[in-house]
Amino acid sequence: MIIETWTKEKYAKNEEDGFVARMAHAGLKLERARVSRLYRVEGSFSRPDFDRLGKELLADSITEKYSLRPGANGFKGAWRVEVWLKDSVTDVVGESVKGAIADVLGKEPAVVRFGHAYYAACESEAKLKHAVVKTLVNEIVNKFKIEKI
Amino acid sequence: MNDTLSSFTSLPAKELEALDKAAGWSLNALELAEAQRQFKKMGRQPTRGELETIAQTWSEHCKHKTFSGPVVFKDGSKVKKYKNLFKETIVKATKTLNRKWCLSVFTDNAGIVEFGRGGKWGLAFKAETHNHPCAVEPYGGAETGVGGVIRDILGVGLGAKPVLNTDTFCFGRLDSKRKLPKNAHSPERIMRGVVEGVRDYGNRIGIPTAAGGLYFDEGYLLNPLVYVGCAGLIPVDKIAKKVIPGDLIVSIGGRTGRDGIHGATFSSANIDEDTSASAVQIGHAVNEKKALDVLMRARDLGLYSAVTDCGAGGFSSAIGELGSETGARVRLEKALLKDTRIEPWEIWVSESQERMILSVPKAKLKKLVAILEAESCEYCVMGEFPGDGRLLVTHGGEAVVDLPMAFLHGGVPNFEKPARRRKIKINAAPPARPSGKYGQILKELLAHPNVCSRHSVITQYDHEVQGGTVGKPLQGRYGDGPGDAAVIWPQAATLDQSDFSGFGVSHGFNPAIGKIDPYQMALHSIDEAVRNLLCAGADVSRTAILDNFCAASPKDPEVMGDLVQAAEGCLDGAIAYGAPFISGKDSFYNQSRDADGREYPIPLSLLISATAPVEDVRKALTINFKEAGNPVYLAGVSARGMGGSVYNELTDSGNNAVAALDMKAAVKLYAGLGKAIKAGCVAAAHDVSQGGLAVTLAEMAFSGGLGAELDLAPAAREKKLTATELLFGESPARLAVEVVKGKETEFLRLVKGLPVAEIGYVSEEPVLSVKDASERLFREDLAGLKACWRKELI
Repeated sequence: MIIETWTKEKYAKNEEDGFVARMAHAGLKLERARVSRLYRVEGSFSRPDFDRLGKELLADSITEKYSLRPGANGFKGAWRVEVWLKDSVTDVVGESVKGAIADVLGKEPAVVRFGHAYYAACESEAKLKHAVVKTLVNEIVNKFKIEKI
Repeated sequence: MNDTLSSFTSLPAKELEALDKAAGWSLNALELAEAQRQFKKMGRQPTRGELETIAQTWSEHCKHKTFSGPVVFKDGSKVKKYKNLFKETIVKATKTLNRKWCLSVFTDNAGIVEFGRGGKWGLAFKAETHNHPCAVEPYGGAETGVGGVIRDILGVGLGAKPVLNTDTFCFGRLDSKRKLPKNAHSPERIMRGVVEGVRDYGNRIGIPTAAGGLYFDEGYLLNPLVYVGCAGLIPVDKIAKKVIPGDLIVSIGGRTGRDGIHGATFSSANIDEDTSASAVQIGHAVNEKKALDVLMRARDLGLYSAVTDCGAGGFSSAIGELGSETGARVRLEKALLKDTRIEPWEIWVSESQERMILSVPKAKLKKLVAILEAESCEYCVMGEFPGDGRLLVTHGGEAVVDLPMAFLHGGVPNFEKPARRRKIKINAAPPARPSGKYGQILKELLAHPNVCSRHSVITQYDHEVQGGTVGKPLQGRYGDGPGDAAVIWPQAATLDQSDFSGFGVSHGFNPAIGKIDPYQMALHSIDEAVRNLLCAGADVSRTAILDNFCAASPKDPEVMGDLVQAAEGCLDGAIAYGAPFISGKDSFYNQSRDADGREYPIPLSLLISATAPVEDVRKALTINFKEAGNPVYLAGVSARGMGGSVYNELTDSGNNAVAALDMKAAVKLYAGLGKAIKAGCVAAAHDVSQGGLAVTLAEMAFSGGLGAELDLAPAAREKKLTATELLFGESPARLAVEVVKGKETEFLRLVKGLPVAEIGYVSEEPVLSVKDASERLFREDLAGLKACWRKELI
C-alpha cells in the first residue's frame, strides 16, 4: 500500500516554489507544480489500519491531506514523477516510520520505504525527464517513473 | 578468484596485478610482493579475508603512505631528502613547540588540548575529508562524512561529547560551461546534495554546524572537496584508554551490511535493483545519536576500557587498531547483519555506518547492556582481546583471518617518491590600472562566488542546537553578516552554567595562492585562521591547528613538490605562531578526466582549522560596526602583490606575485591587539582576506548598518603600493578594527610601536566613503553594496 500525503494548497507555496526553482535551474519552466510525500508500507494490515496511519501518523490534519490512492490530490493535466530510493539503499526515513507504525498499530510492517511524488505541468515529457535526471534524482541511488495524469 | 588465491604464493607479478585489479585492493607491486613473501614464509596460502585485511590496513586511507613516506625534493640543483615527510614537518612543529596544554596529539582519533579553567576538561578536535563518495552520491557522501568525523570524536580517548560541527566545501564554478563526463554531476547538483547531507545529519543528531566555508574553482569541477570537522569535550581523566587482555569486543550502533566494501567510495556498477543490502551508504543520524548517548553514560560509569569507531576498513580496521598489542579473537557469526547473504570477509571489511567498537571487561558487560537496552541501541559481543598478539577471525568453524598483528601494522613496504618544484613565472610589476571605477570593482568583488553571502547554505544548518553558539556564522545588526570564527560555549557538555569559558574555531584556506606559491599558501592559511580567531576575541597564543591536505595524483612529481613546499610552510608557520598541529588528514588522487579526455587535477588544497580558548564568551567579538563616532583602525602592513587574489580572477592585473608573510611581525601585532581586545578597547574586528581591504570594510559597514568616513593615507604600506593593491590586494596579517571611542588612549598605549593606524570613523550615514589622501577612491551606498553581496548561491 502506498500512502500519499501532501500539504494543503494554502500552505504549499514554499515547497512548490522550491521545486519550480530547482527545475528552472535545469532549464525547465513549469506552469504549475505540487509535491507529495509517499510511504510504501508492506505488511498484513487492513484498509482501516492504513487509513489510521494516514490520518494519525503520516499527515498533519491541519496542514496536510492524505490518500491511499496515489495521484488523488486533485492535480490534473500534468505529469507525475514518482521518486524512490532503490531498494538496495538504506532508507532512514522509511526505517523511522517503520518503528512509528509498530508503535501505533502494535505490529511491525515488513517494509516501509519513503519517496516523493512531484506533479509538474510542462510542455513535454522528454524535457521533464531531462530536468528530473539533471537535478532531482541520482540514478545511482534513486529510481523514478513519469506518468501522465 | 578462489583458484588464484590457492596459488597466491607462486603467482607471477602480472597475475598478482590482475588479481589485485579484480579484487579492487589497490595494492601496488611492492606491496603485493611483500604479502606474497610473508605467506611464503608462513608456508601457506592466504584466505580472501586475509588479503582484504592487508589491503585495508596498508591502504593510503589508513596508512597515509604518501605523506608519511620517503620523498626526494628537487628545487633546481638543490636536493632535499625526507625519510618521512609528515614527521619531518607537521609532527616536528608540534614536537618542537612541546606545548603543555596539548593533551593528546597524533595518537588517537582526534587531537586534544586543555579546555577551560581547573584542568578538568579537554577539547578534542578533528577534521577529515569525504571527497570521492560525494562526487558519486553527494547527499549520502556528505552525510556519512559528517557521521564519520563525529564518530572520531566519540572514539577519541574514552569518548568526547560533540559540541560543534564544521564544514568546508570546494566545488566547480556553478556557472561553469565546461562539458562534463556522462555520469558526472554538475557542481550545482553536487553542492545541493552535499549541503542537504550535512544539514540532515547534523540537524538530526543535535550538533550545531556553525563554522566552515565555501570555495569555487574550476579545478574542483569533477572532484569536489568536502571537509567535515567536529569538536567535542572530554573529561581529562577519560583521555587514556587501554585494551586489557581478556576484555570483550562489543560492537554497538548500526548493523553490518555490504556498504562501501573496498574503500570509503563505492562503485556504481555494483548497485542494482537486485542488490538486497545497502550497497550505497546513507547515514542514519538517529542510530549514531543512540550510540552517542550510550557512550556518554557508559564512559562516566567506567564500563569500558577502550573505544574506537568503525570507519574505513570497518571491523578490520577498528578491531585491528584496538587489538594491535593484545591481538583479537573475532567471531563474525555474532555480528548483527542487515543482510544474511553477506560473505564472512565482507562482514569483516564492510564500512556500514554508525558502529563503534568497545573493549569491555567481562564483569561490566551486564551494566553496559542495561544502558544499551534503555537507549534502544543495538549491540553484539563479537569476541575478545586475548593478549597473544594474534588476529584470529572466524565465521562458524571457518578461519577468515589468522595473522600476526606485527606483520599487519609493521609490514607495509614504502618507496621513495620524487618531488619537483613547479616552474611558475612571476610578474611583480605594478598591477595595471583598472578600467572601471573602484566602487564598481568593489561591487563585482562582493558578488563573486568566493566572497558573496553564504546565507542560503548557512541558514539550512541548525547552528543553535545545544544553546552554546555565541559567535555565530551570521552576525551583525540584522544577523546576516559574515562571521570570522565560531565561538562556542560548551555548557551542554560541561553542565556548568557559571563558567563562561569557551573556544573559537576558524579556518584558513587559500588554494589560489597555492597555484603560485605552495609555501606561502600554507603560511597565509595559518595566518588567516589565527587572525580569524583573534577577530572573535580568542587567546591566539593558545592556538592549536589541524592540517587537511587534498591533492591530485602523487605520482606527479610536481604535485609532490607542491606538497613538500606546503608542508615546509606548515612547519615554519606553526613554529612562528606557536600553534602546534594536533591532528590532520590527507587525501590524494583527487584527479579525473572529462569527456574530451582532459585531466582535471585539483589545485593543492590545504585547509587549516584552528581553535583557541575564549576566556569569557560574553566578551567575544563580532565583525560589524557598532556605534557611530567610533574610530576605525587598520592593523598590519599592506604589501605589494595581487597573486592569488579574487581581483585577479575578475580582471587579470598582470601582477601575480604573492605578498610574503612576515611571521614575526604578525605574531607581535596579534599579541598587541590581543591585549587591546582583552582590555575591552575593541568593539569590532574583521580580517582582510578574500577581496581585500575594501571588501572587509564593506562587510563591517553593511553588517552593522552603519557607514564610515575613511582616509587610508595613514595606513602602513610598502613603498610604491598602488591603490588597486591597497584596496583589493590580499596581503596577509591585516585586520580592520573599530575601537571604543572612550578607550582610544588605552588602545593606542597597548598597540604602541605596531603598524596600527587610524583611518577614519564609523558614521551614521549608510555610506562607505574611502579616500587615500587627496584621491577619492570610492563612495558607495551600503544598500547597493549589500545587494551585490547577498546572492542566493542555491
